[in-house]
Amino acid sequence: MASFELRGVGKRFGGVRALDDIDIRFESGRVHALLGENGAGKSTLIKILTGAVTPTNGEIRVDDTTVTIDSPRRAQELGIAAVYQEPTVYPHMTVRENLFMGQELRGRSGMLDRRAMTAAAKPLLARLRLDPSILSRRMSSLSIGYQQLVLITQALLRDTRLLIFDEPTSILSREETARLFEIIGELREAGTAIVYITHRMEEIHQIADEVTVLTNGERRGTYPIAEVSTERMLSLMTGGHGSARDREPASETVQRERRPMLEVTNLSVAGHCEDISWQLPAGCITGLYGLVGSGRSEAALALYGHIRPSAGRIQLDGQTIRPRHPADAIKLGLGYLPEDRQFQGVFLDKSLEQNLTSNTLPGFSNVFDLLDLAGMRRFTTELMNHYNIKAPGADTSIGDLSGGNQQKGLFSRWANLPLKALILDEPTRGIDVGAKDEIHRFIRHLADRGMAVGVISSDLDEVLAVSDRIIVMREGRIADTFEHGPHSAETVLASAIGSADDDNRAAHHDTTEESA
Amino acid sequence: MNRIDWTGRAPVLLVISLITLIGVSIGAPGIWSTDNLFAMGVLAVEIGIIALGQTFVINTGGIDLSVGAIFALAQVVMGLAMVGGVPWPLAVMLGLGVGVLCGLVNGLATVWLRVPAIIVTLATMFAFSGLALVITSGIDVSGFPEGFAVLGQGTIGSVPLQIVAIYLPLLVLLAVVQWRTRFGRLVHLTGTNTLAARLTGIRIGRVQIATFVIAGGLAALAGAINASRLTTARPDAGATDNLISIAIVVLGGSSIFGGKGSVVGTALATLVIALVNYGLSFNNLNAIYQSGLIGLILIVAVLMQNIMLSIQQRRAAAT
Amino acid sequence: MATPASSGLNWPSWINVSVRELLLVVGVIVITAGISIGSSGNFWAASNLTNLMISTAITLVPAIGMTVIIVTGGIDVSVGSMLGLVAVAGGTAFEYGLGLAAATPVFLIAGAILGLINGALITYGRVPPVIATLGTLSVYRAAAFLFLGNHWITMIPPSVTETMVLTQPLGVPVAVWIALVLLALGMVFLARLPRGRHIFAIGNNENAARLNGIPVERIKLAAYTLTGVLVGVAALMSLGHSPMVQTTTGTGFELTVIAAVVLGGTELTGGRGSLLGTLLGAILVGLVQNGVVLLHIQPFWSGVVLGVIILVSVGSATVRRND
Repeated sequence: MASFELRGVGKRFGGVRALDDIDIRFESGRVHALLGENGAGKSTLIKILTGAVTPTNGEIRVDDTTVTIDSPRRAQELGIAAVYQEPTVYPHMTVRENLFMGQELRGRSGMLDRRAMTAAAKPLLARLRLDPSILSRRMSSLSIGYQQLVLITQALLRDTRLLIFDEPTSILSREETARLFEIIGELREAGTAIVYITHRMEEIHQIADEVTVLTNGERRGTYPIAEVSTERMLSLMTGGHGSARDREPASETVQRERRPMLEVTNLSVAGHCEDISWQLPAGCITGLYGLVGSGRSEAALALYGHIRPSAGRIQLDGQTIRPRHPADAIKLGLGYLPEDRQFQGVFLDKSLEQNLTSNTLPGFSNVFDLLDLAGMRRFTTELMNHYNIKAPGADTSIGDLSGGNQQKGLFSRWANLPLKALILDEPTRGIDVGAKDEIHRFIRHLADRGMAVGVISSDLDEVLAVSDRIIVMREGRIADTFEHGPHSAETVLASAIGSADDDNRAAHHDTTEESA
Repeated sequence: MNRIDWTGRAPVLLVISLITLIGVSIGAPGIWSTDNLFAMGVLAVEIGIIALGQTFVINTGGIDLSVGAIFALAQVVMGLAMVGGVPWPLAVMLGLGVGVLCGLVNGLATVWLRVPAIIVTLATMFAFSGLALVITSGIDVSGFPEGFAVLGQGTIGSVPLQIVAIYLPLLVLLAVVQWRTRFGRLVHLTGTNTLAARLTGIRIGRVQIATFVIAGGLAALAGAINASRLTTARPDAGATDNLISIAIVVLGGSSIFGGKGSVVGTALATLVIALVNYGLSFNNLNAIYQSGLIGLILIVAVLMQNIMLSIQQRRAAAT
Repeated sequence: MATPASSGLNWPSWINVSVRELLLVVGVIVITAGISIGSSGNFWAASNLTNLMISTAITLVPAIGMTVIIVTGGIDVSVGSMLGLVAVAGGTAFEYGLGLAAATPVFLIAGAILGLINGALITYGRVPPVIATLGTLSVYRAAAFLFLGNHWITMIPPSVTETMVLTQPLGVPVAVWIALVLLALGMVFLARLPRGRHIFAIGNNENAARLNGIPVERIKLAAYTLTGVLVGVAALMSLGHSPMVQTTTGTGFELTVIAAVVLGGTELTGGRGSLLGTLLGAILVGLVQNGVVLLHIQPFWSGVVLGVIILVSVGSATVRRND
């Protein structure tokens, strides 16, 4: 019996505590579900197990022997593998090559023995119900679902004893999901230890043996699946503070002025979201809640002119708009704060001043294109004071600041533009609680000034705390709209994960019984 | 102005300049006469101007392998025009126009076709230098009107005109463009993070095209000075300038991946290279050695920077 | 059984003939037809064919190594100077009276050393490939001058030309046979040996390759060294073609080689490429240069034509990708 155990394992990033002295044990032949919202510590936990980060403290034991997992390679040697939501592999190479990379089978001449590799892969492919012809296909020509199955096959080939699934179903079709569950069931029978990470409650009842709930880097508890109801898990996930929002409803004048500012009709982005219709009223914060992969960001990027929508109409302040570049969108009065701070947001080696003025430069340049440097410095200092960005000065490189201060900086970029509507994508992901509260306050100020604000978030607390109304997206479609709060965490979460869908749940129960 | 980045190439450049200064002073003590320094400056101006344009391209994350070919094409176009009776100022304008047009071709092909700049400019390098040869049948062009000589042979007082009236004002202008204009900001922001630049509303395609146009125009300007100085326009001129200009820019502290660098650094690197070259030629050493030494300096500079960086990282990891 | 929907051509992976390669074949046929009509048959004269084959072979041999380098995500812009310096070393050996057999190792070893220097700078010195080889491009050229000065080496034994060019089993010069054998070996290596696939793996995803235990640095070092050796072979062939070495030998050759590889469809971003394409690219480059001479067009047009062909072929690939 293989076992993998964390004892008092914790991880800090700078001042932020990502994981707080966790005790958890994974055993062969069992599916252990990890449940928690984004930022609850699940991904840090996987990174520790797969050697991507080393824990700040604590002990890892494999088969009751203490081990150090200091590199991904070491994790592989210990028989730990992970299947991520979006597999990264060798896209231009065949499935066979991906499967056997670094461990190729050779014939007597030393050449690749394709036949032997095919023969070795066939039984595993059969277990996963894959046709052997897939071996000669290029990895990039497969759908993500198939790529995941290839990675599972690879893990099997390499004697993986602990297989981690990181939200594998969030972008899979219903059929693909059903097949994946059957496969996981078979792996369990064969004695693999499985960690299954998800947001989706009904999946847990379907495949897990036990469940651990994480919130804010802490373990709330581990339960055998039979002893815990969906309602109980929801309340554990939402923690103590998860019910109604106790903010005063917006004043009556604002209520009256709630005319639709940004209106999206039947918007589709090929492969990401379909037929989405929603509106952002002026002077109001609309939470756009949905789990990762629900097509939220792509819809926003399409509005913003960064990617082309395949269909749909966008209206801003009553005018139909068709921005072809973010610059067009900004000129029309529509802003977007991107989701990925590092890759889409900051100019890392550049000063705060260069970062904060990057989208207001036209305002500071004269006919000769010369910049008013003194004015820009004043402007930056004002933003720093107003938005409480803690840095030695406007010259400080933004990369030297904490995540929270970086994020406040990016937020301040937008806050001073004369925008009609602003969409904020995960405005507080991965930052400390203090900065989070500040940003939530700033967002409220924008709405009070009459701006239509959309907050995309997969953090339920955030959506509940900051929104006047909530739109829930699921699998690229609108699942529900909750007007004028207060709303309970349970209702919103239930809508996002689809556990309210009774037929659906019944169907899943059937499959569980069949495979059991 | 940014503070000096001690992990960058500035200290390396400083050390190399010092070594060169000492080496040249010992090896060629006679070099420090004003005449010699001016002669050195004259040689440095042409590649120096090309390198200034190359700086902008590299700072956005691109590269231009075709500047040497534009240098040649522009000078033969203006040469042929003058021989054909076009007044020389007009001919020079025509040549500059050709340079700008070539830059536009590079920029549009890079942005529209979404092909890496290194491939586009490899192709246009063949095409532009081929065109230069085609329109001249491979024969040097000469017999220019007297007035044209002013660009490459004129003096102001006793100082060569192209140093004080062309290169230095150009350097000041471009330094101002880089640090004081919106365009200069956009170049660095685009080179630092192309995706973030686009999402913050910067039209990165236009910025990239503009840098290629600048590089093309400046290469043509250098071509005009070259033809005037030698009283000949050569269709095969500038073949090594593509690579040497890149070497100078990288030596001057620009990152080959974009986002980092300055025209002032490029100017300093040009000066170092000019000193090395002139020191060598003063000792009757061939031009090939000069470019060999540039190659060596380039490699050593980047190696030293990497070593310093890894020492710094090790120190950071230790604390 | 689940079978994901198939798209496009579905050849066995090792044949792997792409649309691009088919287009290149069409290009080669069209240009050949054009030249033979335009030159009223002179194209098919034995002397011209030999000429064309030899110059294509000289481009092709280093292009094999360049393809490998570019597939790993690197580039080597120093091959022109390498060819010059190796020719100087080998030519000097001839001047000392060594015969073809005795001098051949000099060419190969000199090439290997120069390639190894490039590789070491790139892998262990972590200098970006463009910068490292840009530097050695001028350093190697200066070194050639250091040894040779303004002197020319003309004492190339006639046996070199006799062996490489004049001996023509089945009507094909030995130099071309060598190139074809090297190409075949390269194709087998890249397609059928684990190491060959590791080269592609590095270009696809370097981090994943490290994770899978592939010695990334050693493979890259070997790729640059191999290219050096192949440049040595090409240098020997080129002395058979024109028996003379001067300081400028090989100037600009790097661009011809890179053009052949890029035309052949190997992507500069790494991870994708084919030696079959490189062969076609080298033939196309050779044809353009040859055709310009035969058609009595100013030879200078070859650069223009080459540039336009590269742009069109790379650009059309982008347009196809977008569709």
